[in-house]
Amino acid sequence: MAVTGVLRPGHVALRVLDLDDSVRFYRDVMGLIETGRDALGRVYLKAWDERDHNSVLLRQADVAGMDALAFKVRDARTLERFGARLQEYGVATERVPRGEMLETGERLRFVIPTGHTIELYAEKTDVGNGRPYLNPEPWLPNLKGIAPVRFDHALLYGCDVDGSRALFEDVLDFALVERVLMADDRTDLAVFLSCSNKAHDIALVRHDEDDKLHHISFLLESWEQVVRAGDILALNAVPLDIGPTRHGVTRGATIYAFDRSGNRFETFCGGYEYYPDMQPLVWTSDEAGPAIFFHDRRLNDRFLSVVT
Amino acid sequence: MNIETPPVAAEHPVMRAGHVQLRVHDLDESLHFYTQVLGLVETGRDAEQRLYLKGWDERDHASLVLRRAKEPGLDLLGFKLRSEAALQRLHDALRAADVDCRRIAAGELLHTGERLRFDIASGHTIELYAQKVELGNGLPFDDPPAWHDAGERGAGVSRFDHAVLYGPGLQQVHKLFGEVLGFHLSERILEADARDNFALWLSTSSKPADVVFVRHPTRGRLHRLAFRVESAEQVLRAADVFSMNRTQIDVGPLRDPVARRVSVQAFDPSGNRVEVFCGGYDSHPDATPLTWSWKRAGAPMALRDQRARERLFPELT
Repeated sequence: MAVTGVLRPGHVALRVLDLDDSVRFYRDVMGLIETGRDALGRVYLKAWDERDHNSVLLRQADVAGMDALAFKVRDARTLERFGARLQEYGVATERVPRGEMLETGERLRFVIPTGHTIELYAEKTDVGNGRPYLNPEPWLPNLKGIAPVRFDHALLYGCDVDGSRALFEDVLDFALVERVLMADDRTDLAVFLSCSNKAHDIALVRHDEDDKLHHISFLLESWEQVVRAGDILALNAVPLDIGPTRHGVTRGATIYAFDRSGNRFETFCGGYEYYPDMQPLVWTSDEAGPAIFFHDRRLNDRFLSVVT
Repeated sequence: MNIETPPVAAEHPVMRAGHVQLRVHDLDESLHFYTQVLGLVETGRDAEQRLYLKGWDERDHASLVLRRAKEPGLDLLGFKLRSEAALQRLHDALRAADVDCRRIAAGELLHTGERLRFDIASGHTIELYAQKVELGNGLPFDDPPAWHDAGERGAGVSRFDHAVLYGPGLQQVHKLFGEVLGFHLSERILEADARDNFALWLSTSSKPADVVFVRHPTRGRLHRLAFRVESAEQVLRAADVFSMNRTQIDVGPLRDPVARRVSVQAFDPSGNRVEVFCGGYDSHPDATPLTWSWKRAGAPMALRDQRARERLFPELT
C-alpha cells in the first residue's frame, strides 16, 4: 500500500528531569545515536536505522512527560492540505517556523481533545542510517545498548478518547485497527490507530487526566532482540514494568520499563500488516487481561495507572 | 562450610536423564495436556494403565510415564547408562557407598531393560538403566529430513531435558552424584549466609544440568520437569500456546541467568510444574562452577518478573 498523507510518527519531544543522565540512558542503554544539541539545550537522537535527523528530542524540565508527538507527512502540499482540513474541522493550529528544531522544516502544531500537542511536518534532513544508498551492507556493527531500528509509536492517556480518535480518523486519515471495550460493551477503553501498514502508529486510552504519556515505543526485529533488550535492562538495573511478554492487541512481543525520569518506554517486535480494507478487531472488557497481557491473562495496576 | 565441591568420579557412564514417572490426577486430561499442549508423542500404555510419552526428537521409547494417583508429584527419575556392564559397576559402587539398591526386572516399564533403583538423601527415588527400545524420532535414519510434523503440535518440545528436585540432604546428594555417579557441578546458588549450597546444577553431559537439586525441608518434592525447544521464539510460542489453552503460567517467558535459559513455566492439570526452555551452554567437568550469591540469584530474574523471586519457594508437588 502506498503510504500517502501522514507517513509515520516522526519525532517525540520528551521532558526529562536530568538531561545528562537521560542522554546517557538513551544513548548507552537504549542505544540511540545522538545527532545534535540546539541553543535551547535540547538533545536530538535517532535510532540507527532511521534516516531522518532525529526522532527523540530530550528537554530538561521539572516534570517528566511528553511535550509533543510529531508526524511526518508526505510533502509541503500535504502539510498545507492538512492545515486547511484542521481549520475546517475547527482545530486551532499554530505554525512553528522552520529551524525551531534542528534540521526540521515548518511544523503545524495543534492540541487534540485528549489534551496532547500533536505536530505535522513535511521536512527533516535525511542524514542516512550510516550505510550508503549505493550498495549498502545490511546493518551497522558496534552499536551500543538495545539499538532499536526505529521509534515506532506512542500510547497516550486522556479523557476524550472519542474526540481524539475522530480527529485522527476524520482529518488525518488514520484508520481504527483494534479497540478494547469497557464493561458497557460500547465505550472504547483503548483504540489503536494506523496511518500506514503497521498495526498501530498511535494508541489512545481513556483516563481521567488529560495530556498524559503512557509510553513511547521502539521497534526491534525479533523476539531474540526483545530478550536481549531485557538482558541489557537487567544489566543496567533499569526498573522494569512488565515483560518479556505478548500483547493480544496487535500481537506485539514486548518489554516495558521506565527511563531515568519515570517515562515508560517499550521495546517490542511483531505486530501484523494492516490494510484499510480490514475490519477492526474488538476486545471485550472480560477479555481485557489477555488483550493486554496475553500470557498472564490479567492486568497489572501499575501498567494501567502510572503515566507521565 | 559445606560448599566445597566433592571429587567427580573419573568414569562417566551415565548418559542422560532418560525417564521420569509422574503422578497425575486424571489420565485423559493429562494425556491431552502432554500431547496437545506440550506437544509430546504418546508411545504406549501398560497393563497398569500407565501412559508412555516422549518428545518428538527423542529416540528411546518413552521419557515421561504418567501414573494415575491421588497426589501429584514425582515417583522416580531414571538415568540411562552406556551399557549393562556400567549398570553392574555402578551397582557395586553404590553398595560400596552404603546405598540400598533394588533391581527392577526388565519389562516392568514398557520396552525398558532391568533397572537399579535407590533412594537418595533428598527423598527422591533414582533409577539407572542401560536399555530402552529405540523407536526413532519418526524420521528415517538414512537421509532424514530436518524435522517432523510431530514437532509442530502444541509447544512442540523436542525432548525431556532435566528435572528440578527439592528436598533436604543436599550435601549427601552432591557427594553421591559426584563421587559415585560422575556428575559435575556446573552452577550453584549459595544460601543467604554463603555457608551452604542452596541449589546445585549437576551435569553428566555437556549440558549445564541433567538434574538440579534445591534445598527444601520436605523430602522428595518436584519443582519442575524441563523440556527443551530450540529457540527463544519457540519459548514465546510455548507461552502463547499455554495461554490459548488456558494453562496457568507460573512465570515467564523470562531469562533466568542461571544456566542462561530463556524459560516459561506452567502447571499441568494436576499441578505439576513443567518448563519449556532454550539456551544453556556447553558445560564440561574441567570448568570452574559458576556461583550465584543468594542476593544475585533472584535479582536479575526479579527485575524481569517481579514474582520470580517469590517463586524460589513455590508450590511443589
